[in-house]
Amino acid sequence: MAFLSRLRALLQRPRVARELDDELAFHLEMETQAHIARGVRPDEARRRALATFGGVVQTREAVRDVRALSIESLWQDMRYAGRTLGAAPGFTLAAAGMLALAIGITTAMFTVLDSLILRPVPFRDPDQLARVHLERRPRIPPTVLRAWRESPAFEAAELARRDSSLVEAGATVVTATVATVTPGVFDMLDARPIRGRLFDDSARDGVLMSETLWRSLFDADPAVIGRAIRVDRRPLTIVGILPAHFRFPTAATALWRRLEIDNAGQYAYVRFAKGLPREEAVRLAVDAAEAVDPGGARVTLGVYPLAGAQDTYSTRAVPLLAAGVGLVFLILCANVCSLLLARLTARRREFSMRAALGASRGRLVRQALVESGALGVLGIAGGVGLAWALVSLARALLPEVVVAQSLNPLALDGRAMAVSSAAGCAGTLLAGLLPAWLGTRFDAQASLRVIDRGTTESRGARALTRTLLVGEVALACTLLLGGALLVRSFVNLVTADRGLQAAGVSMMWINLRAAAPADPALEALVRAIEDDLRGLPGVQLVAWSYGVPPRGGVQGSGDWFPDAPNSAPISMHVDRHIVSAEYFQLYGIQILKGRTFEPSDPRTSVIVSERFAQALWPDADAVGRTFRVEDASLQVIGLAREIHYPSVDRGVDVPEIYHPFTLQSLPMVSVRCHSSCPDSAVFRHLLAVRYPEVRVQSAGAIERDYARELAWPRVTAALAGAFAVIAVLASAGGLFSVLLYTVGRRRREFGIRTALGASPAQLRKIVLGDGLTVTVLGIVLGSVAALSLTRVVESMQYGVTMSDGLSWAIVLGLLVTTTLAAAWRPARTAARIDPVVLLREE
Amino acid sequence: MPKTEYLQGALDLLILKTLALGPNHGWGVQQRIQQVSRETLSVSQGSLYPALHRLEAAGFLSSEMTTSENNRKARVYTLTAAGRKRLDAETEDWREFALAIRRLLQVG
Repeated sequence: MAFLSRLRALLQRPRVARELDDELAFHLEMETQAHIARGVRPDEARRRALATFGGVVQTREAVRDVRALSIESLWQDMRYAGRTLGAAPGFTLAAAGMLALAIGITTAMFTVLDSLILRPVPFRDPDQLARVHLERRPRIPPTVLRAWRESPAFEAAELARRDSSLVEAGATVVTATVATVTPGVFDMLDARPIRGRLFDDSARDGVLMSETLWRSLFDADPAVIGRAIRVDRRPLTIVGILPAHFRFPTAATALWRRLEIDNAGQYAYVRFAKGLPREEAVRLAVDAAEAVDPGGARVTLGVYPLAGAQDTYSTRAVPLLAAGVGLVFLILCANVCSLLLARLTARRREFSMRAALGASRGRLVRQALVESGALGVLGIAGGVGLAWALVSLARALLPEVVVAQSLNPLALDGRAMAVSSAAGCAGTLLAGLLPAWLGTRFDAQASLRVIDRGTTESRGARALTRTLLVGEVALACTLLLGGALLVRSFVNLVTADRGLQAAGVSMMWINLRAAAPADPALEALVRAIEDDLRGLPGVQLVAWSYGVPPRGGVQGSGDWFPDAPNSAPISMHVDRHIVSAEYFQLYGIQILKGRTFEPSDPRTSVIVSERFAQALWPDADAVGRTFRVEDASLQVIGLAREIHYPSVDRGVDVPEIYHPFTLQSLPMVSVRCHSSCPDSAVFRHLLAVRYPEVRVQSAGAIERDYARELAWPRVTAALAGAFAVIAVLASAGGLFSVLLYTVGRRRREFGIRTALGASPAQLRKIVLGDGLTVTVLGIVLGSVAALSLTRVVESMQYGVTMSDGLSWAIVLGLLVTTTLAAAWRPARTAARIDPVVLLREE
Repeated sequence: MPKTEYLQGALDLLILKTLALGPNHGWGVQQRIQQVSRETLSVSQGSLYPALHRLEAAGFLSSEMTTSENNRKARVYTLTAAGRKRLDAETEDWREFALAIRRLLQVG
């Protein structure tokens, strides 16, 4: 009813307005007639009627306010807001830009958070999906898998493995991640091909290709179905294309080959039956496995999620970064808020005028809200665009190791859009509501009096802007400190001494597929491979080993008995590498004492690293000594320089010992090249062509493994640094606008002070002091907040702590500098106020 | 000197009560309030018309544009059923309020 009359009011706007005018005119007429009836002259009667009536315009405005014309006046307000914002493009751009920045980074960060932490497994009922293996068993026998398929514990049980392989399509050769999967995988995960079909029983040599590889290799040619490609020299036929968002079993999987269930695998991928408690399902699965497994030993099931960041660093870093974004969001909103408030208060005169002309406070508040709403709409539009750009940027720049933690492609989707709209609304309300309330707080009569007078700030506005500013500086201080520590940690990680030269070295881990390790043909094969590798252009050195840096060796732990009499065994983790003599030269690992291996050395000779020697013989020369581990007695023939694996995870950097190389069927070969090595595809291709029986397990540059450990610290440092910079700039911007506005409000006061003999320096001091007070309060609060975060950040630091002097110096220096920079112009403006000019204006 | 300020609720009550006697236009409502209260209460146009429109929007009144005898367009307000209920409720409230005030004044 009420709504209908409002709608009518809108649709029949001119008529309603006319009727209201008629109604008021009738009233006036009746009043006049009444006066005439009492014997007053007509013109005098009219004058009296008008006088008693008060303001016709006010009455009309008041009626409009209650009456409904809210939709109409909303439209009016919107047009008015559009004009007002258009008239101050600088302000509009700054405010909408800050909102857009806030919304954009929040949305982009949420997208990353969603992909890595919240929903890394983008399939139906992801909680039911798992990767399982039998603990202490190398693989799951096919009988067990068959039993699982029958078991009520699982809806599906499938196998999937992945390898990197050489893919040849015509003349193009690339290395790609190739998965071999049992065909049921696609049903389990609801995957549908976008072209062609899934595996069927007719063709055993079918292969499915990812949309991404299809686009890059074949330019999305639809006629590719049925065409042949070669995977590790084996011809296969493309039967279908899977959509880009289907990522399984790893994010980078580009091809899927068929795997039969008779192939035992280390892992099975299962979908647990719905409605069955997890413990119950696991018990059923174990029972089923034990019933068919002839081994008879107890079975333990290891259950893991399909994907998702699980290491402590990323599980801490991502939420921390999300919290950082939250802080930046608050800062930017607070900034827009103080900007709006400053502007609304500066527009006091306009508002007073409108109040005097009959606008109610509700109307004024609404007007202010409509303006901030318009800014919000601009901000959301800009924010969505920015988020899209940032997510594209993240896809391109986030290190592969980080992106690979999730099967969920980084993409702006419905959830991200919902977050950005929510952020936009929250931002607009946060930024717009308080200023609208405070900025319109005056009554019409009082406001008429202040027209044309510059007074000092209202107390409410002042308290609010200062509180906002202190909050901004505090948040910026916390972010800056966190950022400084993370950046310092990253720099420390990058510049940490590794004890070797990893640049220019590539390695290949190959499977010689030898029948027996002692096969004499093996020796010849290895020599031939070595000669071929040496023949490649740019190759300088080749070395065989089992274990390559970093952390590539056999993990040895236990008690190490030094040969000194009465000495206690040392218990520690050690990285054991089995290496040929060239290894040390190739990696640039210095032999500090003793010598490197010679062919005549017995297998009990070892070379130890500095830390190992220091642990076993703290005060003596290690070379020539012996030590025992388990049952072996080993003799030290050389002391090698310690190699380090810089990582925030301190557990991974352990001492090394080196054993002389003995040939086995899974060796690693390292290659040092001039400047940098050719792409690993070149090595793979060489081996695939010359030695079809040899399989390459993995290949790549050594630097890549170090880079992997740096990936997360790099991302965290970069993002935290960026957030800190935005926060500092935003709070400085906020300080600048608020101070400038304050100076504008206090012009009279400053003029009087000048007239009374205050020097420009004194005036400057007042303004600078105002800014510095805010900053000092902010720094104190921010430091307290930062200290309370010590524990969380601790695990992400390398070589710095919360008490790091340089970080604190950077924080304090930057904040004070930006404060002074932001306060400088307002201070100069204050100092230059000329009382004479002011008087003339009065 | 007529008192010009009242509680918002009182104005609504006055308007509803006046219109309960029969449909009337804004000026008529104003005159009647003045007459019946023997010039003690007067309503300014600035409060009367917004209140009339507010009550209409709330559904307590309905209105119609009519043409008066001297061929002037006038808006005539009529109390609706909802308005009548509202009037009863408000009257009751007002009585209680007035009683409470009177008791309070008698205490001293």
